[in-house]
Amino acid sequence: MAIRILSVDDSRTIRLIVTRSLKPFDCQVIEASNGEEGLAAAASEKPDLILLDISMPIMDGVTMLTRLKEDEALKAIPVIMLTAEAGRDNVLQIAKLGVRDYLVKPFKDQQLIEKVSRVVTLAKKPGP
Amino acid sequence: MTHTASLTEIREFMIQHLTEVFSTMLSMTPETSDHTEPPQAANRVTGVVGMAGEEIDGVLYLHLTDEFAAKATAAMLGMGPDEAIGEAESNDVVGEITNMVAGGLKSHLNDMGAGCAMSTPGIIRGSSFVVETVPDVVRELLGFVCEGSRVLVELHIHSKGKMA
Repeated sequence: MAIRILSVDDSRTIRLIVTRSLKPFDCQVIEASNGEEGLAAAASEKPDLILLDISMPIMDGVTMLTRLKEDEALKAIPVIMLTAEAGRDNVLQIAKLGVRDYLVKPFKDQQLIEKVSRVVTLAKKPGP
Repeated sequence: MTHTASLTEIREFMIQHLTEVFSTMLSMTPETSDHTEPPQAANRVTGVVGMAGEEIDGVLYLHLTDEFAAKATAAMLGMGPDEAIGEAESNDVVGEITNMVAGGLKSHLNDMGAGCAMSTPGIIRGSSFVVETVPDVVRELLGFVCEGSRVLVELHIHSKGKMA
């Protein structure tokens, strides 16, 4: 069964890059453009992993993560934060929230695949 | 440990960081240039991100030609030469690049003890607009040339005591 990954980012560009990076693998990428949509998608789709941006309108990634961790049904879903801010304080704040890992933008497709592979098993799609 | 952030240090960081963003996300290598004017184009695309903190406020503008913005969009999204690039796609890519450039600066300032929050990016499109400063704001201009196009980073900084 395909791995289900929820990409939560207000930038369609980043969601496209995530989808493109994971295309060779047997996984389904679900998209949400802010924390509110992300929480709803997490509840309805029960993804195996969430890739979560921090700075977003309507509901930011830190708020979404906090709500996720307060929800008994969702708190076990592993989260990798995607952030353009790599400062010490920011990284410490993220770590305290209980994320599995974080990836600093800019990033190469391969860096994303490596981070995701540490949390879920990515199997190559079978050839034609 | 905190220390005073200097404009020279910020300038050096911005050159290194913009180069990293462009090479990682666009596979393009910008070169620094002496020009300090926004690129002249029938249509300019400018990404904008604001920063606000107790020690420092600022706005970062990334000025591009629409031609370069389209090229960057194609590179970032892996589009072919014949694929049509819409304004919405181009705006999103320029916004995201500006966000990455500003995010690096924010982290750098934070590590120097001048923490601040960052806005989500915005886009300005036009042919002959000028961004002016208000009193007490320092304006830094960093010129680059990338793939034959002018790229300009315009930084407006209002320091509240930790800049030299």
